[in-house]
Amino acid sequence: MGTLIKIAWRNVRRHKRRTFLSALVIAVGLAMFILMNSIMTGWDRANIDNLIELSTSSIRISTKEYADDVESLPLKYGLQNVQELTTFLQQQEYVAGITPRTQFLGQLSNWEETIPVIGQVVNAKTDPTVFALMNYFEGNYFSDEGENEIILGKGLAEEMGVQLGDYITLYALTKYESRNADEFHIVGLLNTTDPNINLNTIMITYETADGFLDLEGLVTELYVSVERRVNYNLFVKDVQQLQSKLQSRFPELQIDSFLKIASGFLKLTEQKKAFGMIFMLIILAIAAVGIFNSVLMSVYERIREIGVLRAQGMKRGEIVTLFLWEGGFIGILGSILGLIIGCGANIYFVLVGIPLDQFSGFETSGIPFLGRMHGEWNIGAIIFVFLFGIIVAIAASYLPSRMASKLEVTKAIRYV
Amino acid sequence: MPLLELINVKKNYMKGETVIPALRGVDLLIEKGDFLSIVGPSGSGKSTLLNIIGCIDTPTEGSVLYDGTDLSDLNDKEKTNYRKENISFIFQSFNLIPVLTARENVELPLIIEKKFNKDEIHDKVTRIIEIVGLGDMADRFPRELSGGQEQRVAIARALVKNPLVVLADEPTANLDSGMSEDIISIMQKMNEEIHTTFIFSTHDPLVQKHAERVIILRDGLIASDERKNNGHAD
Repeated sequence: MGTLIKIAWRNVRRHKRRTFLSALVIAVGLAMFILMNSIMTGWDRANIDNLIELSTSSIRISTKEYADDVESLPLKYGLQNVQELTTFLQQQEYVAGITPRTQFLGQLSNWEETIPVIGQVVNAKTDPTVFALMNYFEGNYFSDEGENEIILGKGLAEEMGVQLGDYITLYALTKYESRNADEFHIVGLLNTTDPNINLNTIMITYETADGFLDLEGLVTELYVSVERRVNYNLFVKDVQQLQSKLQSRFPELQIDSFLKIASGFLKLTEQKKAFGMIFMLIILAIAAVGIFNSVLMSVYERIREIGVLRAQGMKRGEIVTLFLWEGGFIGILGSILGLIIGCGANIYFVLVGIPLDQFSGFETSGIPFLGRMHGEWNIGAIIFVFLFGIIVAIAASYLPSRMASKLEVTKAIRYV
Repeated sequence: MPLLELINVKKNYMKGETVIPALRGVDLLIEKGDFLSIVGPSGSGKSTLLNIIGCIDTPTEGSVLYDGTDLSDLNDKEKTNYRKENISFIFQSFNLIPVLTARENVELPLIIEKKFNKDEIHDKVTRIIEIVGLGDMADRFPRELSGGQEQRVAIARALVKNPLVVLADEPTANLDSGMSEDIISIMQKMNEEIHTTFIFSTHDPLVQKHAERVIILRDGLIASDERKNNGHAD
């Protein structure tokens, strides 16, 4: 085997230009995959971050009864042990924030039209530790002493024809299911990229809700944010660990991570990845044709050599192995080159990122995050594509290798 | 028992629909230690005969018996093994592996044979390289050698595994007369010392002059088979 490898390697080195060009095709395919995967993973990550920061948080805690009836956002299944939960969570690693929320159904009226809305009762102090809504504000956040202050989704405000500083009427059923209405002062507008928030959501504080909804401190959901990690898989692991700790400590409660809350969205993300893989397969198929040609040329150039080796008693299988090694070496060189180019370029995408918000029309394009989009390192994908490049090269060498092994010795020796 | 026995060997080639007979019924006995030259004009069937003996081609009709075994009964793998164990080739254009040094080229048959360990291979190769007079050129690549030196490497490669039969197809065709003399004398020495059987296909009068036995092929048939009394015809 050592001699076969030696012959194969020296032949690869002997035809430097051809080897380089074949390897370059693989390298370009690999580099493109690494970059595309990085950007797509970065894009997905930005979406997931956005989802967690605006809607789901990392973990949501509620009673099981509430979770079963969550569609109607009932105000009768409050968490009894918020303080105990909070204390427990504060002692856990990686917990970045904890905040209660109580959701309710309401209607917003400007005396001309009425629109159904989802109300969020928030703790003005702790909510920003979990949700990043502050980044999407126009106007002010809740003031300390302010009463009947309300924050609206910007789309909702536009639909209602109201602006910052205006007053608007909110109807809702109280905890005791009596109908209540009150006027609220619009202190802020939320202009997120999540249409649910923009078009359907209003926010009031617990202080306001105590009077308006007779809440008496009722908390239906407790949201927890887990510290962000650069490596998404480690982040998911942290979340799942915390979730299982919570579940074993509070078995009577419903503990859901963002993975369950946003399962539909995450499934879509996986499907997108499959498309990326198809794209990579196409690129590598093109590379495979290049390698096929290269090894085929090598076979044609060395027909006499093959004849001599066969005449000396080398088996057909060994001839195949010899050329597979050549293909393998081209694959290894191409894959290494692809890693260098791909990872080198990816450093820029990861560290500097792409300033998407500087492209014209970005804000109205529906892209669900602001600022720079950063690439992500996906070590698993990089290892996979490295090995895949080599395997493709070997596979592409197989047919010409078989051809070489089947040459008639007499013709091969006399081949000119 | 002769080493090789050819019985009514015929070989036809097809060129489109036309049958071209290369051998028309050759009967031949080759003894161990023969130093035999097959001569004849181009197209007389010399190379075909060599290829059939070397088991890299099969006769259309007839049999080749090696030590009593009919080579046409062997499958591809067995033929490969037969070549590996018994036969060596020397080619007109040397056919060295260009990416291997002279030493590595000579090592190759032993590596293919997989019978010897590294030290044994080293010793055998060193010895044969000395015999062919290339001791100081062992680490050169074929492109760094002259034609004569390349053929010496080819001879060393052919002899290193101590084959029973060496088939040499026009071994001196690309060499000047001085080098041809050298090459022939090396082969003669091996023939005398270890009784390796040499079968040449050649046009070269010098090879014919040194051969113990000269077979003339004409139109695919043996026209004459002359054995000289002493091994070195003058």
